Formats: sequence, structure tokens, C-alpha cells
Amino acid sequence: MVNRDDADQADNWERQVKKGWLELAILASLWGERLYGLEILRRLEDATDLVVAEGTVYPILSRLKAEGLVETKWVEGDAGHPRKYYWLTPAGRSRAAAMARYATGFLGSINRIIAPLLGKEKK
Amino acid sequence: MTQAERLQRRIDAYLAELRRCLGELPPEEVHDILQEIRGHILERTEASGELTEERLVEILKALGRPEEIAPLYQVDSVVAKGRVSVSPRLVLRAIHRWSVVSGWGLVLFVLGIVGYSTGFSLMLSAIAKVISPDRVGAWVGGGHFVIGTVLDPGARDVLGWWLVPVGLAAGALIVFGTSRLLRWTLRFARVTRPTERPVTP
Repeated sequence: MVNRDDADQADNWERQVKKGWLELAILASLWGERLYGLEILRRLEDATDLVVAEGTVYPILSRLKAEGLVETKWVEGDAGHPRKYYWLTPAGRSRAAAMARYATGFLGSINRIIAPLLGKEKK
Repeated sequence: MTQAERLQRRIDAYLAELRRCLGELPPEEVHDILQEIRGHILERTEASGELTEERLVEILKALGRPEEIAPLYQVDSVVAKGRVSVSPRLVLRAIHRWSVVSGWGLVLFVLGIVGYSTGFSLMLSAIAKVISPDRVGAWVGGGHFVIGTVLDPGARDVLGWWLVPVGLAAGALIVFGTSRLLRWTLRFARVTRPTERPVTP
């Protein structure tokens, strides 16, 4: 039995974890590509369940821009409305690569430490 | 009112509310944000084939409430700009934004005000010395030390013309140091959404 408080706490924990990974996922989706906001969102939604509220992705993009990690340009296309395209700057590429390297090591250590928990559940 | 008009009105209302919540951001930034979010809504509605009111409500709900999204922009962009800026105004603005949600931010904001005003006053005194050499100086007398103008006729100007280079250099150093310190502390600024509990770094 899981009581309501525990469920809420687990939910909150999940949200915080997702929030932390979202920035890396956004940078990763732009690796080698120019995408506009909704395309980035679709990538993330197809590949992950990191996006809790769609509206949170846009402020993160705006912060990445302010930090000089992405560059942007409005493009008038055939969509009938302009689209804001994003791509990685050299600083963004090296930050993304560094984050990815850290993430692999980090996930490996987490996997090792939680392995027994998962083993127990399988029984 | 036709169905299309009603839906359009709903989108407009959402964007108007978002604009209201974005409040103090620079106008061109607000314009960009609204244009991007409008594009998102339009494209989502176009992709959903026949658009019904229920579908639009879903799209807006997935986006999030304006009052939840708007603070993310303010905090994110203001703090992010302060982190990389050399402008005392932008750095202080970022710290100020941080001070709204954190005691540490408040302490640093006060520190920033003191640091910047000390630095700028020193530089101003150096410039004032050039303009009015007899009245401006680093005065010692009557147990006081004052940089600026004093009315006490017994006070002695200990620096003389040295106030110009010393004031400029020390002032610039203090301003620069304050910026560096504040920018460094901004790396620890965690400003979270009002609906969420703060994360311990």
C-alpha cells in the first residue's frame, strides 16, 4: 500500500529529476541540427518523458541563449507565422559534450548502487 | 460568434494573460516570447486536424498556465544575463531577482549596493579632485577620515593629487571585485517555480 503523501513525494522527486536532465536533453536534441522550439519539444516527447509542462522548455531555451550556449534566428517560412530556430554555439557544443560525459559516468554509478533494489523487485 | 472566433479569442486571452505576467521584462523580449508561444499554439492546433474547443483547452493545458510559465522567463533570463554580464546594472538586477526568493540573495544584494557605491564614490572623488582640487581630498582631522569635501578647516589632505590615480584605481578595483564576487555567487542562485519546492543544491 502506498499512501497519498508517499505518492506525492515520489511524484515531486520525479519532477525534480526530470528538470535536471531537461537541459542536457535540449542541448542533445540540437546536436548537429537547427530546430525550432516545437521541433525540439517533439524530439524530447518522442524520445523521453522528460517534459512535464511544454511551456517550461521555452524559458530554458531563452536562458541557454542568454548564456551564449545557443544562437537563434527568426525564420519566416511557409508556416504562416515566423519560427524561432535554435542551434548550438561552439560554447554550447563543448558544454553539451561535457555534460554528456558527466552523465554517462553518473548514470553508471547510480546503476551500480541501485542494482540490488531492482534485483529484489524481480523476485 | 462563430466557433473559429471563439477559439481565437481563447488564444488571445491566453497570450494577453502571459503578457501581463511577463510584466517587467524588456518589451522586445516580451514580443519574442509571445511570438514564439503563439507559434507553438498555432502549430499545435493546425496539427490536430479539426480543432475543437476541447482540443484547444488541452493544448493550452499542456503548455502550462501563464502565471507559471512567465516567472520562469523572468528569473531565467535575468539571472542568466547577470551571470555573464560585466554591467553592474545587470548584475545587480539579477541579484535583486534572486533576493526575492532567498535570504542569501538579499544579503548579497545589500553587499552589492555597498560595494558598487563605494567603488563609484571613490572614482567620482578622483574626478572631483581634478575639478575642484582645493575642496576635494582625502581629509584627516578631528579623528575623522573623509574622502570628498570637508568643512573642517583644520583637516589635512593626506593624498593630495594622489587621490586621482588612487581613487580611480581603487574604485575600479572595488567595482570589478564586486561584480566578480556577485557573478560568482549567481552560479548558486537556484530560483524555482513558485509551484515547486526548492531543490537543495
